[in-house]
Amino acid sequence: MSRFKRLISNYIFLRVLRAILTIFIVATLTFFIVRLMPGNPIEIYIGQLMSQYGMSFQDAKNQAAALFSIDLNAPLSKQYIIYMRNLLRGDFGVSFLSQGTPVALMISAYLPWTVFSVGISILISFTLGITLGMLSAYKRGSIFDHIMSTIAAILSAIPNYLIGILLLIIIGVQLGLIPVSAMRGTVSPGIKPGFTWIFIKDVFSHALLPIMTYVVSTVGGWMLSMKSSTLNTLGEDYVTVAKARGLPESRITFAYVGRNALLPLFTSLTMQMGFLMGGSALIESIFVYKGIGWALGASIAQRDYPVMQAVFLIITIAVIVANFIADLLYSKLDPRIKIGGE
Amino acid sequence: MKKIILSLLSVLLVVSLVSSALAGGQFNGAWPYSPPPVGHFNSYATNAITLGIYWDLIEQPLAMYLWASGKWMPLLATKWSLNRKTNTFRVYLRKGVKWQDGKTFTAKDVVTTFYLGYLYNWAIWRYIDKVTAVDDYTVDFHMAVVCAPMVLERYVLRTQIRSDAVYGKYASQVIALLAQGKKSDSEEMKKLRAEFDQFRPEKMIGTGPFILDPKNLTESEITLTKFDGYWDAEKIQFDKIKLYNGETPVVTPLVMAKEVDYATHGFPPATEKQFLQMGIRIIRPPLYSGPAIFFNHNIYPFNLKEVRQAIAYAIKKEENAFVSLGDSAKRQIYMTGLSDNLVPQWLSEAVIKRLNKYDYNPDLAAKILTKLGFKKGPDGIWVTDKGTKMEYELLVPAEFADWSAAAENAAEQLTKFGIKTTVRGITYSQHPTEVRAGRFQMAIAGWGAAHPHAHFSYYTDLITYNYPSGLGPGMNFPLVQTTKSVGKVDLDKLITQSAEGYDLLQQKKVVEKLALAFNELLPIVPLWERYGNNPALDGVRVTNWPKEGDPIYRNSAYADSFVIIMILNGTLKPVTK
Repeated sequence: MSRFKRLISNYIFLRVLRAILTIFIVATLTFFIVRLMPGNPIEIYIGQLMSQYGMSFQDAKNQAAALFSIDLNAPLSKQYIIYMRNLLRGDFGVSFLSQGTPVALMISAYLPWTVFSVGISILISFTLGITLGMLSAYKRGSIFDHIMSTIAAILSAIPNYLIGILLLIIIGVQLGLIPVSAMRGTVSPGIKPGFTWIFIKDVFSHALLPIMTYVVSTVGGWMLSMKSSTLNTLGEDYVTVAKARGLPESRITFAYVGRNALLPLFTSLTMQMGFLMGGSALIESIFVYKGIGWALGASIAQRDYPVMQAVFLIITIAVIVANFIADLLYSKLDPRIKIGGE
Repeated sequence: MKKIILSLLSVLLVVSLVSSALAGGQFNGAWPYSPPPVGHFNSYATNAITLGIYWDLIEQPLAMYLWASGKWMPLLATKWSLNRKTNTFRVYLRKGVKWQDGKTFTAKDVVTTFYLGYLYNWAIWRYIDKVTAVDDYTVDFHMAVVCAPMVLERYVLRTQIRSDAVYGKYASQVIALLAQGKKSDSEEMKKLRAEFDQFRPEKMIGTGPFILDPKNLTESEITLTKFDGYWDAEKIQFDKIKLYNGETPVVTPLVMAKEVDYATHGFPPATEKQFLQMGIRIIRPPLYSGPAIFFNHNIYPFNLKEVRQAIAYAIKKEENAFVSLGDSAKRQIYMTGLSDNLVPQWLSEAVIKRLNKYDYNPDLAAKILTKLGFKKGPDGIWVTDKGTKMEYELLVPAEFADWSAAAENAAEQLTKFGIKTTVRGITYSQHPTEVRAGRFQMAIAGWGAAHPHAHFSYYTDLITYNYPSGLGPGMNFPLVQTTKSVGKVDLDKLITQSAEGYDLLQQKKVVEKLALAFNELLPIVPLWERYGNNPALDGVRVTNWPKEGDPIYRNSAYADSFVIIMILNGTLKPVTK
């Protein structure tokens, strides 16, 4: 087989190619869809000046003069070619409403906070969910199982932004258990970033509410999935054989039941990482948390097209990369599966 | 002797320590802003962190306006005068004022401020052609087009003055380009504007009583600290102003947790009720504007004034106001297109008496339509003399809860009367585009303006969404009209004339003509006037809020914030522990 044929039949190569194609399609669609949205940055800025500063229409229109340098009437094809050419060079462009600010700089300022809060919450939610789900499966039909399953069903049915607001109002305002104002944002004013206990503690205390919201809103799903997966595994022949062989219960639980029940959840775990990035917009807005979702919300409100395009692209890439990693790691976790039928 | 001096010194020390301990305190407010890297400190460019009403505490203006008395409160200016012979408005500046970087405030700063405004087409440049520093503390504004002193005064005195040390480099380039005859639409000026848009000062340097230090800024809050070198520092009672970032949904829990002393966000009536139950006071300053029904005059029979009058009679405006925003909405009484709060200042008693209030009278509305040859069909819907059913759509920005409620209620009342009205909500960002393009039958849009001069209200009422705006046909209401009250009028010309010349009495006459014509023609039907529902927390950190009815609350909530005035003149005080 020639090197070329080997290359194009290579599973990883094909997956990379497919990922690039998906990113290209999403970038193209995003470019046109954001421009189809009602309103434009100038109209919105004028409206904002009128409502926030009590300006008359003509004064607001004059004040918005800076935005008139944006050529929104340039042919779409021309704008698209420039956008794609810049994108190939890794250049997301410059913010419309904050002239001179590179979008890449904004992304680098926001993305780490979302990765941090979403990453920690997925880790906690997954660990907690599979533990409780497995316990429910083992204690199937018990009061514990009934209570846990009901809670899980309720939690997974409530949208995450609602949980965020409830946490804020009930725990923060009504019960007064947390200082609502001090916990907003990512860090307290005046705290110097660095690998110091004060900074780390501060960062975690600010991330607590977003993390709690993500955990509470996703843990139910993990519990129910794990319970169902465990129940299926418990009925497998190899578990019965392991029990018949007199293997210790702990070994059966972890090495036979746990490991196999976990496999179907693994793909969901990596995918969740990507989707939570997109879903972070509302949560980060509620807690004024400077992440990528917050940037997305603000850019949509202002119709800052370059920022919107970049954030949508980042979310897409996150989902694609997560999916890709899941595929690659799946074969490592399950020896029965080999990439490319090797 | 030595002992006496020592004892006196120790007493003085104790007194100063005690007084410094008693002074201070913190005021907590809220205002939405974008933190860096999106937000920045170039206060001319978009997304600058200027903090709305609190901007006046950092980059101070020359003066602020007291709406009830019609008088100015001098700040960086001490006095001003108009020379009618030379068409020059002269401003005398306060001496001894320091910038927060230690430099001295002079006329050069004022000149820089306004020439950079030229770069951004500031409205004042429609009237002036030159700003000159006569000496270090005197500035002349030369008028190329004579306009009403009230209009010019406002443009000059209410502008936040920027530092020449920060912005001077760019202002001198604007002056040089103007000297070469380059106007704001020239390529050179556009290039300079593009360059200046990207200018990012490290911090905002002002002359105001509070310093905006980027170190005290996060995405969730910003703390302004007292500037000890402020020219009127002894009046300032607070050491810190903390401002929480966010729009209504994120600020609401903070108000409920009593972390905010004052907020101007538009809270829904249900939230307001909860604030009141929690003992939080609600202040309702007038906004001098509100929602109105705009008609597409291309559509028959909206081009008939009698039909618009009938619609005004068919709507119980008190009900519409109450269901929309509770106590923060008041029905329009005089129906002049001008805030009822401004009517006594602009219209004589005799003219006020001639105004039709259009009190709810469905029988009269029916009589008017019948007289036009309209008939009610068997289904209860009016049919025009041309045989078309009166069935229309009312367009409203869906996100504006109060306007949406006003639209729903108006539609319900009109349908009950026999004009079948269906509400269509569209996103707020698309709404002005649709109205300006004339793609509507009836629409809810804003009337009035938060400006003491009536010119601006009529501009909003009759031009903003009409063909002279140049942005589309809009409601397409012909501005040359024949009226019973004032004869034949060119409303466009009257609006321009209302802000021209030095003679205020003459301007009032023009405004009276506009008011009477508006009242008869009703090109739009104002539903109610919007008042703020601003929570003000008394006794937690801040105290001494004046009682309801105090003239200070006649100030517009945004244009000349009474809270800022009360911080500057020392009315608001910290709670002493």
